[in-house]
Formats: sequence, C-alpha cells, structure tokens
Amino acid sequence: MTTKVTVPGIKNLQTTAEISNSIRGYYGNLKLAKEKKIPVIWSFGLIPREIYHAVDAPVLFLEHLPLMMGAKQLSGKYMEIAEEDGFSRDVCAFHRCFAGCAIAEEKDPYLDSFFVTPDLIIASNLPCISESKSFLYSADLYNCPYYFVDGPINTWGKNIPDHAIKYYSSQLQGALDFMEEHGFKVDMDRLKESVKLSLKMIGLWNEIDDLRKTVPTPMSAVDGLTAAYPLIQLAGTQTGVTLYERLRDELKEKVKNKEGVIENEQLRLLWVGVPPFFNMGLINYVEKYGAVVAKSMIEYLAGGAYDPSLVDPEKPLEGLAYKSLVDIINPTAENMLEFIAKSVKEFQIDGIIGAVKRSCGLLPGYFRMIKDSVFEYANVPTTIFDLDGLDIREYDDATTKGNLDSFVESLLASKRR
Amino acid sequence: MKTLNKIMDIYDNPMQIIDKFKAADKKIVGYRCLYVPEEIIHAAGMVPYPTFGVTQPIMTADSYFQPCVCEFVRNLFDLAKENKFDFLDELVLCNTCDAIRHLYSIWNRYIESVPCYIINNPQKMHDEAGYLFYRQELENFKIEMEKLSGNKITDNALQQSIELYDETRRLLKQLNELRKRDIPPITGAESLKIAIASMLMPKKEANELLRQLIDEVHDREIEDDNCPRILITGSIIDDPTIIELVQDMGGNVVVDDLCSSTKYYWYQTKKNSDPMDAIVRFHLERDVCACMHPSENRYDYLTELASEFDVDGIIYFNIKYCHPFVYEATIYRKKLEQTVPTLILETDHSLSGLGQLKTRVQAFIEML
Repeated sequence: MTTKVTVPGIKNLQTTAEISNSIRGYYGNLKLAKEKKIPVIWSFGLIPREIYHAVDAPVLFLEHLPLMMGAKQLSGKYMEIAEEDGFSRDVCAFHRCFAGCAIAEEKDPYLDSFFVTPDLIIASNLPCISESKSFLYSADLYNCPYYFVDGPINTWGKNIPDHAIKYYSSQLQGALDFMEEHGFKVDMDRLKESVKLSLKMIGLWNEIDDLRKTVPTPMSAVDGLTAAYPLIQLAGTQTGVTLYERLRDELKEKVKNKEGVIENEQLRLLWVGVPPFFNMGLINYVEKYGAVVAKSMIEYLAGGAYDPSLVDPEKPLEGLAYKSLVDIINPTAENMLEFIAKSVKEFQIDGIIGAVKRSCGLLPGYFRMIKDSVFEYANVPTTIFDLDGLDIREYDDATTKGNLDSFVESLLASKRR
Repeated sequence: MKTLNKIMDIYDNPMQIIDKFKAADKKIVGYRCLYVPEEIIHAAGMVPYPTFGVTQPIMTADSYFQPCVCEFVRNLFDLAKENKFDFLDELVLCNTCDAIRHLYSIWNRYIESVPCYIINNPQKMHDEAGYLFYRQELENFKIEMEKLSGNKITDNALQQSIELYDETRRLLKQLNELRKRDIPPITGAESLKIAIASMLMPKKEANELLRQLIDEVHDREIEDDNCPRILITGSIIDDPTIIELVQDMGGNVVVDDLCSSTKYYWYQTKKNSDPMDAIVRFHLERDVCACMHPSENRYDYLTELASEFDVDGIIYFNIKYCHPFVYEATIYRKKLEQTVPTLILETDHSLSGLGQLKTRVQAFIEML
C-alpha cells in the first residue's frame, strides 16, 4: 500500500541555504530574459554549462526542473499529463515530468513561477537515450530549432583519445555556431574565462570533499545534493566560485570544532541512485541509528570527477570535451566503478544504499557491478531496492524504511562483532 | 517450395551452420547491432554471426541487470550464462542504446568464456566530423579483428567482402519487392525467417539460395482475403510469433522496418575506392535505427515505406524498456496517424502477454 509519510530533508549548513537562494535567482533571471525577448534555450545532459555562460544564454536545464517539482511533490501530476499524451510509464521519470510540464496547458503557480518556453533546444545523448530522444517531442511541440550534440561513450577509461576529443569538441563548436546563428554572440575569451572559473570550482569542490571525509562528517548528502547544484548548473561562473569558497570555509570551521551532522556517528553510508526528492527526510531517517549518509553519487553527475590538470583553458573546447567524456556517468562502467570504490574507501563508508529508479535506462544496469566491485575492493556491502526518486506514486514508505532498517541493523550488528 | 523449405530449415536449426563453420576451423565473431560492419570480420577470414535471442522467460540476468533493462539484452545475457554462445570467439557490440552499453560492461565482467568488444559509433548521421571519428573507431576494430584472426585485412579483401554482402542485401531487397504486389507471394513471417537465415548463413550460400528462391516464389499464389496491409516497426523481432499473430488476426504484414529484417538489407554500399570510407558512409548515411539523429529522417523513411507498400496500418512493436523505440513511437504516433492508423504495442521479448496483444491487434485490424 502506498503511503504519503514524507518529510523534507534536514539541512545543517548556512551555505546550502544561500545556494537555494541562488537557485531562485537563476530562475528569476530566466523569466526576466523571456520578458526581454532574449531567446531561452532548453538543454540537458553532460553538455558543459560553460558554453552557455560564455554566450550569456538563459538556459532551462531538464535535470533540475523535475527535481524541484519532485521536492514540491508535484512531479507525479505532471508525469500523468505526459502519460496521457502517450509517454510510456517505463521511460525516465525526469523526462516524463519535464514533458508533462511542457504539455500542461494549466500550470501550478509554483511551476509557472520559473517555467519558460524554449526558443532553441540543444540536446545530447550523454549520458543516456532519454536525453537523446525526449527533447524531440518538445521541439515538435514548440516548433523550435533543435541542435543535437553527439557524445561518444567512454570506452577508454581515463585516457580519452585525441579522435574522441576532436569529435566532441566539434560537437560543442556546432552548438556554439547554432547559438550564434540564433542571435547569441560567441566570445571565446569569455569561454576561456568560464573554463578557468570552472577549474577553480572543481578545486574548491575537491577541498569540500576532503573536509567531508572527516569523521564525524560535517555535511550529509541532504546538504550535498543542494551543494552540487553550482557544480552542475553554475560551472564556470563567479557565483559558483563564491558559493564554494563559503561552503569550504563553513565546513573548515565545523571540522575544526569536530562538529558532525549527528552526534556519536557510528555508520557512514553512500547513496547510489536517484535520491527521493519528494521525501528527502528519508536520507535523515537512518540517523536514528547513528548512521549518516555521508555522500551521494548523484552529486558527481555532470562534472565532478575529472583531473583538472588535464584541462587547458587556452583550449577550452578540448578541455570541456575531456571533462564531459571522462565523467563517471558517461557509459561504459569502468570509471564509475573505480570512482565509487575509491570514494567508499576515502569516505570510510560502511555500506551502500542502492536505490533503483525503475524508469531509468542508465543507472539500474550499474548496481550489480557496483555491489560486486565495492565488495571485492573494500569489503563493503550494498543493499539494492526499488525507489523511484521522482515518482511519488510508486513510493512505498513502509517497504522502503523496512529495507533501510534491516540493512542498517545488519551493518551495526556486524560492526559490534 | 524446395528452396524455401531449405531456408526455413536453416532458420529452425541454426546450429547446423555453426557446426559447419567449426568443422572448417573458422573463427566465429558474434555481433549486435547493425553498426558492426560484418565486412571487416569477413575480410579477416572469420565469420560474422548475428546474435539473436530465444523467446523464453529471464532466468539469471535479472540479478545482473535489474528487471527494468531491455528484456532482449537480458535474454542474450541469459543465453551466455547458459553457455549457449560458447561457440563464439568474440562478441562485438556497438553504441546503440543504454542496454547494449550495459551488456558490454556486464558481459566483460561476468562472462569469461567469450571476450566482448564495443565499437563506439556516433549517433549522428551525415556529419563529416562523425565520419572521421567512426573511421578511427573502425580502424581500431580492424586491428582487433586482425589480432583475433591472425590475418591482415587488405583493401582488396575488404572490397570483395563488401561486394559479397551487398549482393546478399540486394537479393533480399529484390525478394522483398515482390511483397508490393496486391497479393504478396511470401508472408510476413516467412520474410522475417528468410532474412534471419540469410544473416546467419555464409553469404555465398545465402546468395545462391536467395537467387533460387526469387525464381521459386515468383509465381507463387497465397490465399488472400483482401486483408489490411500492415507495416511492422519498432524493437527487434527475432521470433515470428508476433507477425504470425497479426496474420492470424486477419492482417497481412507486407513490409517491416526491423533490424532483424529490412534494416539489414535496405541500403547498398556506395562505390568508393577506399573500402573503409565506403563502410563508414554506409553506416552513417542510412536511416535505420531510432537511436540515430536526425530523427526526422526516420519519420520520412517510415512514411515512404508505408506509401510504397500501400500500407493500411502501422504497428509499433516495442519491447518494454527499449527506450529508443518507445520514445520514437511516442513522438511519431500523432504525425503518423494523420496519414496511416498506427498501433503501439509494448510487451516483453518473451511475449508473456500474448493474449492481451492478440486482443489489441484484433481490435486494430477490425478498425482498419
């Protein structure tokens, strides 16, 4: 039986509240741009945000809007609208929700406060087929120009070969040309500057991560999911740099004072898969056992796990191509598995929570490999269960909590032995 | 129908082909999907072998993939776990969908008997930068095949392989042209089996049989009750049951748009003095898979196919979680319905919900 026992997540940091304000500001600017008749772009995937900041384009990103709708428990309603229009319930909940928001003739005031129609669409197939296909529907719906950025999958691991860099750079150049064709001015100096800022941000993010590795951890995945927003959406902006400097300083202070998310931290967990945006309190649920979700894999989607020394701001497109193609979320699995195993060790993780979003074409295929590789590498167990982080209609509170209870209890028992 | 029966026998018992290859000490390279160039494998002196599934419930694959991953791919993995692909010397995949990408990673981790390679084809057609990228990927693949076979792949050998495979495609298409008639001389199910058997067979043998078959069925008459003419498209169909079901319900499947059939043979390689370039362009200039862009080409292709074969209705057969075609059907349905009634079916590869499908197909055919 589906219940609706949902609670918001508890955030502990001042800076994440500031990041939330910045999100509101971002969408306010989008609305403003639309009013000023500046073309608005819809985009998504691993397309590096830096190219949009370089042309000062107002962009609505597909990943983020459904997440906000989920947090307000509105995502199910808009998914239903998409389903009534022919979308299969088996395709990605994010894309269904976004499509429903686009299709809905009458929108909730909350959605209306930040939703803007597209003048251009820039799509990609990184990292999955949903990214590659779903915007075609919107392009038809709004009859607007569409550009497709083709990203090769990563079959090379950490060493992306020249021909792949060259190809993806050409795709990014194509996106810039497309934007220029539709009224934006491409400024390569600004792009270089944006890449420099992006590198600064990743340096700060790595410092933040190092602080989070401290026991007790000063920041949980609830704050982490908000904190990842600049990494993804504000990459290459001064705002992003400033927010991360503040976050780093706040965490430094907490570490200095040995102030953890919870008192008497006994277990540290890693969340893999989409977290329950409609019920972020579930991430805090395990805290009653002295367990903290110290990290969430989703924080690294779209650009958190690359070697910044390999990005040359003087060759911005090549650098961004490397950053995108090496991303852990870009299939195939090699980088993802290595990265998670390494994180488990560095964050001193005791167990992994694997939440399977049934409608996702990408992540479910990773779970067994993650489970086995982390167990082999670090002897750390994983629990895997169904949980669509966006579709509250499929949420079963009792079963989900039962899964968490038994996993955490068994971890505690084995720790006591 | 001596030749037709012979081809049906090959479809029903494909192991006879494999046994012959093994007896001749030939290396066999399995592949899936259509962006793997068979000609490169063949030019290395090996046998390209398209891997198909078996209509059966999933056994162990669910614990590796999760049940929400395409059932066709899980079925292939099940077969591998049951050692049914142990006759392969290597499996080659390509970049078509999320499930195939997972199959590559999961196969290499959990199937020890057969190594797996993936070709990183672009998903954008008609793009010069994409041609260069794919060319490099195919050069790497060529080296891989040379290593596996121990043979150097010469341009001459590659050119000959292209000609041989083009001839198979040409003959299959010629046979398919006969289905444009008011009363096609071969059924939809037969056509699928002929295409699959031809894909499995050595091409010289396939070409010989196809030539005989074209003569053999030329004047064949099949009973026809003026059935509605149907185009079937969507995910892979490797079992004719679904086509037979349409026939049983009174539809006549006169053409399909399936990777186990027409998509394999619809296009010919364009003449080119550089055989690798010819292969690159062959793959990136044909509108066969829903994973590719631009997508409008697929819509144009489908509507032209429907018009050429004078189709009364289109049926999308989508395997659950086959995201490329599930999206495509959603996007095209309204547009297609403006000219041709279109039915979208979503079911398992194992066809577990056949009864329900039957009802929906029957209602659709009656409506036509």
